[in-house]
Amino acid sequence: MSRDLVTIKGGKDGFRLLVDSSASMEEIEAEIKKKLDENPGFFPEGTKFELEVADLDRSVKKGINQILSQRGLGVELSVKKDPPPATDEQSQMPPQYFIQHDGNVEAQEMTVVEHTVRGGEEVTSQGSVLVMGNVNPGAQIIAGGSIDVRGTCRGMVHAGAWGDISAVVIADRLMPTQIRIANMIARSPDIMEKSDFAERAYIKDGQIIIEPIER
Amino acid sequence: MSEVIVVTSGKGGVGKSTTTANLGVGLAMRGKKVVLIDTDTGLRNLDLLLGLENRIMYDLIDVVEGRVEIKKALVRHKKYENLQLLPTSQVKDKSAVNPADLMALCDELRKEYDFVIIDCPAGIEQGFQTAIAGADTAIVVTMPEVSAVRDADKIIGELGRSEKDNIKLIINRIRPAMVDSGEMMDMDDINDILAIKCIGQVPDDIKVVTSANRGEPVVGDNDSQAGKAYENIVGRLLGEDIPFMEFEKEGFFKKLMKAFKLSKD
Ligand SMILES: Nc1ncnc2c1ncn2[C@@H]1O[C@H](COP(=O)(O)OP(=O)(O)OP(=O)(O)O)[C@@H](O)[C@H]1O
Ligand SMILES: [Mg+2]
Repeated sequence: MSRDLVTIKGGKDGFRLLVDSSASMEEIEAEIKKKLDENPGFFPEGTKFELEVADLDRSVKKGINQILSQRGLGVELSVKKDPPPATDEQSQMPPQYFIQHDGNVEAQEMTVVEHTVRGGEEVTSQGSVLVMGNVNPGAQIIAGGSIDVRGTCRGMVHAGAWGDISAVVIADRLMPTQIRIANMIARSPDIMEKSDFAERAYIKDGQIIIEPIER
Repeated sequence: MSEVIVVTSGKGGVGKSTTTANLGVGLAMRGKKVVLIDTDTGLRNLDLLLGLENRIMYDLIDVVEGRVEIKKALVRHKKYENLQLLPTSQVKDKSAVNPADLMALCDELRKEYDFVIIDCPAGIEQGFQTAIAGADTAIVVTMPEVSAVRDADKIIGELGRSEKDNIKLIINRIRPAMVDSGEMMDMDDINDILAIKCIGQVPDDIKVVTSANRGEPVVGDNDSQAGKAYENIVGRLLGEDIPFMEFEKEGFFKKLMKAFKLSKD
């Protein structure tokens, strides 16, 4: 997979737009439009994006602002007092929000749970969560990033809980009562089938998709 | 070497008291010195299952409040004199005993008995915390039912947080025909979720109820499948390696009828 020229990441206080500074304005424009169209309804009017890369050309920044404002969205140039905000922000935010993970779960700051998470138990993490055991019915995992269960997942899992739509849920046997990614919810079928292979859930075209994976 | 076992479940009515009574009698039949403690204060019924209600003089609360010696409050079983019951009060509530009381009591009884078995009240509140305080081993009783398994899972989590790591499972009231037809959770599913050592699979058996009404636990009754199952659990508690029994399934004729009915609609 080639590196995305544009990445939209959800953080606790809104969306961030990561733009590859080597890309041309046309490429960026096409990519942003594609991203927005992939997730219709995900970015309500008035949503502001924070631009992540500091060394963008001024004209590119302007261009991005134009694309977004055509859709009733906007770029937030400065949340903090001192401009330019982006570089300065980086040092203040927890590092996991800045790691580009290209679908690679390992890259985020990770909470490792070394046992089965039983009914009534809850694990919450700003980063991603790795469970070395089962997630039982009635248990909850809430992660800012992705969730990986090395066992059977029967509980409720919420990846990208603060809006990261690139977060995924992976399990050896994925049979949860509910999967939530960012603000999307998929509930289990009323009659649960036993799954015999590892699966991954992620957002594609504004829907939670589940597909088998090798591991 | 003696062992203090607490029989617990989370969900009520799954067979904790029945299990406690049967294991008590079963171990006594094998010559062990056993004392059973009812900690379901206010809802006591272990004495009924053992047919000892009319012999109760004092109870657990009298002991922890220092009114009588433990020895005086113990009620000896009619048939097995190496089996004793420490009943609880019918009128007090769970706050009358605390974890430290029970721990001290267990340590005292440990000196004289091979097995101390504690019948725990339902729930995860104070009564549960008190009942488990002095135990080395916990037996979690569940039924092949989604809600009972859910509660068992929760209880296992609680036990872990209380540093009780020696936990065993008994699955009670199994109906083999329903398991076969997929209407009841099967043993593999339950073991997969709870992931603790299973030491017993007890079928649903009317004899459990009729024998309880007579005050004679079913263990040792070889005409009863549940009786056999309890006997096997006793063996496993004593370290014997006993395979799980195959339950009698519904007869050929019934199956044929079912197949016939299926093809009709
Ligand atoms: N294997 C069995 N087959 C048939 N009936 C059973 C079986 N085990 C238990 N029962 C019945 O289920 C009922 C509840 O059992 P029991 O009182 O032992 O449960 P408990 O867990 O102690 O309940 P509580 O939570 O109220 O203390 C009783 O009427 C008992 O006779
Ligand atoms: Mg009871």
